[in-house]
Amino acid sequence: MTAIRILPALVAAAILACAGTAGAQDTVKIGVITDRVASAKFYAEPVSRGVELGAKVINEKGGILGKKIELIVEDDQNKPDVSAAKARKLVDDGVIAIVSNTGSPATQQAQTVSLETKTPHLTPANSADFLTTQLDNPYFFQTGPLASIQLGTLMAYTKSRGFKQVAIVRDNSALSQSFADSFKQGLEKAGIKVALEEVIPQGATSAVANLQKVRAEKVDAILQAGVLGPEMLQFFRAYRQLGMQEPILGSYNLSIPAYLTMAKDLMDDVVFVDAMDLDKPEAKAFVQAYVKEYNEQPSSLPGYGWDGIFLLKQAIEKAGALDKEKIRAALQSTTGFVGAIGAKGTSWGFGPGKRTGFDPQGAVVRIIKNNQHGPVVFAGQK
Amino acid sequence: MNDFLELVVSAAASGCIYALVALAYLIILRPTSVINFAVGEWAAVGAFVGVAVLTPLIWPRLEGPYWLAIIAVLVILGALGWLVELLTVRPLVNKGASITSPILALLGVLVVFRETMTILFGADPLPSPPPFGFNRVAFGPFAGASQQFLIIGATLALFAAVWLFFERTVWGRAFEAVALNRRAAALMGINLRRVTAMAFAAGAMVAGLAGLLMSPLTSAHYMMGLPLAIQGFTALVIGGVGRVEGALLGGLVLAFVEQLGARYLPIPSGLTLAFPFVLLIVFLFLRPSGLIAPREAR
Repeated sequence: MTAIRILPALVAAAILACAGTAGAQDTVKIGVITDRVASAKFYAEPVSRGVELGAKVINEKGGILGKKIELIVEDDQNKPDVSAAKARKLVDDGVIAIVSNTGSPATQQAQTVSLETKTPHLTPANSADFLTTQLDNPYFFQTGPLASIQLGTLMAYTKSRGFKQVAIVRDNSALSQSFADSFKQGLEKAGIKVALEEVIPQGATSAVANLQKVRAEKVDAILQAGVLGPEMLQFFRAYRQLGMQEPILGSYNLSIPAYLTMAKDLMDDVVFVDAMDLDKPEAKAFVQAYVKEYNEQPSSLPGYGWDGIFLLKQAIEKAGALDKEKIRAALQSTTGFVGAIGAKGTSWGFGPGKRTGFDPQGAVVRIIKNNQHGPVVFAGQK
Repeated sequence: MNDFLELVVSAAASGCIYALVALAYLIILRPTSVINFAVGEWAAVGAFVGVAVLTPLIWPRLEGPYWLAIIAVLVILGALGWLVELLTVRPLVNKGASITSPILALLGVLVVFRETMTILFGADPLPSPPPFGFNRVAFGPFAGASQQFLIIGATLALFAAVWLFFERTVWGRAFEAVALNRRAAALMGINLRRVTAMAFAAGAMVAGLAGLLMSPLTSAHYMMGLPLAIQGFTALVIGGVGRVEGALLGGLVLAFVEQLGARYLPIPSGLTLAFPFVLLIVFLFLRPSGLIAPREAR
């Protein structure tokens, strides 16, 4: 009986204790949603690595407003419903901002939570154009290069090379088809003929027939729109086996470093859209920090995460407090942010009513050399 | 002409992979009447075992020779096949369950294998080194990747060995006897349990070898099992379930239709995805016994 009487008091005391802890937060809690096991892991994990590195470097230099950053990382398996649930968990854990590094559809679903809970929400790498158009969420900001910007850059490069007719090679995944459709639209606008579109189906054991057809068309270049690793591997293997010389142009999907390992020695001279110029001082600083920490050269992907956490730092310092509304306002007013990502001479900014920050001239075309993402060969859309 | 001959090599190599998976089906199906769709996952396990032995990706400093990978695949897959029969099929048979019960249970096994592979090896495709590099080689007018020629040679050797086993050994005769009449074979003193266990172990070994041989071309990845299961099953239906050579013929027919169709038919290449299914339906309707008739029908 006594136990029953004191139970409510104990519960009340526990709630007060928890509330006290949250109120006296001595760290800057930032939530990170990533994909550790599923289809977005390819890019989500490197981007998250950049966030973690950036947080470490910031903490070593005193943190933000005198407090250390505490990252709370959640895995959404690139599933939209799980992503929303994880966002809610992060808000319940007391984060003052969420960084989404997972797939675009999952990030879109997580936005329902950031909108409802009025939590600043940033995606440093997602490229889908719809993330800021389908939902009017003033708390959500996108700094990765939009798909349309990347496409514009690739098309500008294609035109600059004087290609008259090209082939598109893709796999049969929905994302690959979407890339191919975008390519076709962009090529039509640029007046470049698509001689044929070849599909390497999931589970294929050879792409020789597809590449022989491409070779027979005598195209000026091949646009690689594939996203499935094994099928892309077949493409590159058949290309080398047949001794083909047609230049290969890839989407930003090829900036994922795992392909360099998977298709080792097969991708030299392939060009792809990216957003990092290693000659830029900010990119050099990021690379230096990355090499010091991990003892390996980074791809551009961790750079997105690195920039994302530094952008949040700048906004929180500008807000002057761990107040979500003030941080949102500070993010919204960001202009002229120069990070590791983006072509030389470009910067990010939002401004009133604008929530995509990437400069339209910020994407670049890079070339793969010696199994590494090599130098920039083209920048912007002009 | 050069294009055609190079495509012949490519299709023959793909057909050999399908044929090996079809053979794995057949070895299990003949004495047990069980269609085991998990053979595709077993091929994937074979590919991962190969990567684990051949590269330092899984365990640092382990870069074993190819013969060690073959032995590892045979031992591990043989044990897995035997265990699956022991734990999944035998209890159902002992309880007198209908023939569909083990088939459904093995579909569950398929899911277990796939998820386990994802946990153990991750979702990223893992590159698998070929024993003779990726050089382009030519035998007379036939040119292709060295791995493609290895696949063709190894498959022909394996089929010859399995054919000899069934035709020339007592155990092979026991398998055939069980396939023809299970009860009569038992009355003749053939140990049905042992034949069933051996069938599962041998089927898993063959499927594992298919995965090991194929992985340098496609990498090892957790999604590779299901397409192989479909292609192997289609090859089995085309060739016929009664004879070892039917599996080889079925695999080659399927691959040649796929690749020659993709190359020469004036249709969008996306439509070639339907070839296996069209062939499957055509054969099931018009020639359900396959191209090579089973022994009892001769």
